[in-house]
Amino acid sequence: MDGSSGRLWARAVLGAGLVLALAYPIPLQLSGYTYFQTVGFLVLLNAMLGVGWNVIGGWAGQFDFGPQVFFAIGAYIAAILFVHLGWSPWLGMLAGVLAAALICALVTYPLTRLRGHYFAIATVAIWMIAQPIGATWEFINGSRGLFIPIQTGQGVLGAVTSLQFVGRTKALGYYYVALGLLALTLFLARLVERGKLGFYFRAIRDDQEGAEGVGIDSRLYKVVARSITAAVFAAGGVLYGFWALAVFPEQALDLNWSTLPIMATVVGGIGRLWGPVLGAMILIPISQVMSTTLGTGPLAGRGIDLIVYGVIIVLIAALRPTGILSLPWGRWARRLVRTS
Amino acid sequence: MTLLLQAVVNGLEMGFLYALVAVGLTIIWGLMEMINFAHGEFLMLGMFGAWWLSVTFGLDPLVSLVPVGLAMYALGVLIYQQLMRRVQRGDPFTQIFATIGLLFLLQNSAVAVFTSDYRYLSNTVLTRLSGSSLRLLGVSLGVPLLIGALLALGLFLALYLLIDRTEFGLALQATAEDREAAMLVGIRPQHMFAVAWGLGAALVAVAGAILSNFFAVFPQVGLSFTVLAYAIVALGGFGSILGTLLAALVVGVVQSVTTVYLPPAFKDAFVFASYILIGLLRPQGLFGRF
Repeated sequence: MDGSSGRLWARAVLGAGLVLALAYPIPLQLSGYTYFQTVGFLVLLNAMLGVGWNVIGGWAGQFDFGPQVFFAIGAYIAAILFVHLGWSPWLGMLAGVLAAALICALVTYPLTRLRGHYFAIATVAIWMIAQPIGATWEFINGSRGLFIPIQTGQGVLGAVTSLQFVGRTKALGYYYVALGLLALTLFLARLVERGKLGFYFRAIRDDQEGAEGVGIDSRLYKVVARSITAAVFAAGGVLYGFWALAVFPEQALDLNWSTLPIMATVVGGIGRLWGPVLGAMILIPISQVMSTTLGTGPLAGRGIDLIVYGVIIVLIAALRPTGILSLPWGRWARRLVRTS
Repeated sequence: MTLLLQAVVNGLEMGFLYALVAVGLTIIWGLMEMINFAHGEFLMLGMFGAWWLSVTFGLDPLVSLVPVGLAMYALGVLIYQQLMRRVQRGDPFTQIFATIGLLFLLQNSAVAVFTSDYRYLSNTVLTRLSGSSLRLLGVSLGVPLLIGALLALGLFLALYLLIDRTEFGLALQATAEDREAAMLVGIRPQHMFAVAWGLGAALVAVAGAILSNFFAVFPQVGLSFTVLAYAIVALGGFGSILGTLLAALVVGVVQSVTTVYLPPAFKDAFVFASYILIGLLRPQGLFGRF
């Protein structure tokens, strides 16, 4: 079995996955069990954030624990433009993405003087500084936050252009928007991975001095990598803000917006394009199903669901520390072909 | 002016306790370069241990910090041997993943056993002394916090001597420096890592037992201390024990002075702003070797 049939296998898996992802919410819509569409939305959103984090964490190899700052910047900018100026959320998303990438570049450039763990704590520092600003800045309503009024458009096209879905189709609509954004993110990430940028990032990760020796400006390209990550997080923040119909500091700056995508990336396979997608498909449903089954009933509020979740995470880490995509899938596929 | 001086003194007292909270992380993260997101959960377990021993057996936290420290040493070694030793084979990011799982597990086990209620210790030696203070040059020193601070300082200096002046400490540093070379001279790295995790867990749990005199005990208390401890270790410089002490004092003073002039929400923001400022001037931390 040579490389081309391996690629064939990859295409087949990809095609089947795409069909499944497109068809997934339809039986749920017909049966009215839309809760699992929301789970699907959260999987897609976290997968998208994970693909974004993979750029700075997986390829450029920098510890970044503060991308949630840019999630919040995106969410706030789109919400303010919508509430105060009546801008379309899609225009707001564009503005939020550009602003987040620019702010990230300005903030991160000085921080790149710090390396390794010192840089990691600096990204945490920006988050710690952003929190009280978000909670006290009156322009963005302080800790009360912004509420997004419902102004949905007519018909399917109107709903999509207004990025607002209400009633029975709410979960369905946001699911497909998230799927589209994830597909776009994966497409762009693939371009980065295959292109000049991807090589520069990996060169800096593997040997910073060596990369500088061949003329790669490591500080510049670390900033570029983090700004790409920031742009993806900002887009995710806009989507989440309109889904939640509110943006407030405790929600938008929640630590989960960095830990969940990082965990999804690590569990799927860090530095691999599809790693975060696989990781999110494993982690998010487990946590959601846990909290609806073990988190309710007589033992509600005793954290049983999170204990089990913690045990599962610990087991995955201990049994497969290099990520699930690092398993010998190719060899297994070959064996399957030979035996059949 | 007295207000400022008072704030500085209070900050220094708190700083010594922060030093003991952070020094366990200096060993695990700063020296052995392993990431532990559950550091604050060890502190939380130490607080609950002291609270439980006080409520059921009437042991004062100043006494129960011995059994609490020993139990947490065992837990730290166990966590390294059963979990982190395997995790070390993967990417460093896997350590983040694994210890976040550990954080969920430990924190929510405490929720399951003790519920999320806030608990306070009263009728301990230190809480009974509350209100008594020493006056010095117009500045008052709270006696309970002063005793806690001195205790923390004593433990801290003992650890410093252990790491810097004994054969065991040198073996630990050698393992951190170059694992293969350490093996060549007969040091077992796995053993050293296990001891480092044991020491790290025990020290922060002892700090938790002392802090249970001053702070509410509840399962979610850990995270804010974890974040602060990481800032202190990085500010002090990687692998430097005395750097950790100095950084902890800086953090205590910055927090305490900030709250005099600004809303309390900003106290950690200024700690982290000073981290960035100092980091830009000295990218290797105050006393870091690299």
